[in-house]
Amino acid sequence: MDHFSSYHPSVLLVYYVIVLLLTMFTVHPVLLVCSLLGGILFFAATNPLKALGKNLIFYLFLFFLLALTNPIFNHRGETPLFFMNDNPVTLEAILYGAGVSVMLIGIMFWCKCYNQVMTSDKFVYLFGKAIPKLSLVLSMALRFIPVFKSQMKKISQVQKTMGLYTSDSLTDRVIGSIRTLSALLTWCLENSIETADSMKARGYGLKGRTNFSIFCFRMDDGILLAALGAFLCMSGVGYQQNVFEFYYYPSVSPIPTGAGAYLQYSIILVMMLFPSILEIKGRIQWKLLRAKI
Amino acid sequence: MKKDLLVLGFVILIVAVLLSGTKFQSVEDYYQTHIDDIKEDSETVTLSIRCDTVLEHWEQLSPQLQSDKYIPEDGVILPPTEYVLRPKDTVFDILNRAVRHSKIQMEFQGADDNVYNSVYIKGIHHLYEYSCGPLSGWMYKVNGEFPDYGCSRYKPEDKDVIEFVYTCDLGRDVGGEFEQ
Repeated sequence: MDHFSSYHPSVLLVYYVIVLLLTMFTVHPVLLVCSLLGGILFFAATNPLKALGKNLIFYLFLFFLLALTNPIFNHRGETPLFFMNDNPVTLEAILYGAGVSVMLIGIMFWCKCYNQVMTSDKFVYLFGKAIPKLSLVLSMALRFIPVFKSQMKKISQVQKTMGLYTSDSLTDRVIGSIRTLSALLTWCLENSIETADSMKARGYGLKGRTNFSIFCFRMDDGILLAALGAFLCMSGVGYQQNVFEFYYYPSVSPIPTGAGAYLQYSIILVMMLFPSILEIKGRIQWKLLRAKI
Repeated sequence: MKKDLLVLGFVILIVAVLLSGTKFQSVEDYYQTHIDDIKEDSETVTLSIRCDTVLEHWEQLSPQLQSDKYIPEDGVILPPTEYVLRPKDTVFDILNRAVRHSKIQMEFQGADDNVYNSVYIKGIHHLYEYSCGPLSGWMYKVNGEFPDYGCSRYKPEDKDVIEFVYTCDLGRDVGGEFEQ
């Protein structure tokens, strides 16, 4: 569970920023698929298989939804498949929609893991001194969805125990969840004010206040940071050589090939898969050690 | 269960209404447009589509368009051609008929979708607005003058000469400067 997240918070932050930026600022299919693969594998390595299956089904649905929405609004591209209301539905627009939805889903999987890797104490450790107010707000905002979800579960359980909305009808359950949501929103507002008040009461952000942290910068962190730096330089070279250049309109450009391009792709793949490899390696090691006892 | 069926029926109804309002055409059907034959007494206009300004600003053009396939060497997408002017035709109607007849790709924004109450030509022959720098896009001339309103509001007359030209500099490079 915590082989990757035991790295120093600053290194983790740098890794996350690089992965997200690299994924968000490109439409190159190889990069996007690498990122998606890395995100899904990391999620699979840190979560039970059941959660993975549930997520995969949902995101597969989202993938098709996004890929098919783009051609309805975007008519660029030179291979029309058919015409809808005098507007072409083009192959390029569908491919672009698919590419962008791979990007979006990849980023979503990375962000799902973010909360397990960068817990709020790490975030506040990194930025608490420099920007106390903003870092508190940010860490609360980033933690918002998981807290939201667990509280939602609690509220709906309470409603169930009281015998509300227990009928089999789907419509009834949807209506019930709307009511849960409204209760949740009120709770959320109250909770965020309470958290802020409680932090203030403890003197958060005051001058001269020290706080305990367990993180120390080890040799491993330095190595990973250096590797990330080298990786950034390599990617910079790749950008210079137009390896990452890709466009969908008016016709889909060929994927750059050649020794240089393959080298870049494999480096990116290793970099994206790094956390999951570490996690899986750690698991196997743990099993072996236990088997020896 | 009853409620579920009711909701399901409602959803199906909405989908059916949406689908019935949508026109599906195959590619061949779409390009099969009827162009009237020019007779002696028919009113005609001349239409041409050019993008020769792009050739002068080649370095600004998006890299994916930098080929003969998208930008003709002489910059002429449609040479001056005579088309029959039907009653109540606007410049846009003629352009639409012409590009469909010649199988030239075109994308436009409908008159209901913008504040000008007129059709806006987004791109012709894969050459779009902003494809050649931030001040680029399609403009049109009638008898050498730039009308200051949209092409679906201009009703041309007999023997008018309509030119669609691509500008890379907000009209200044094709002679259509806005007067202060």
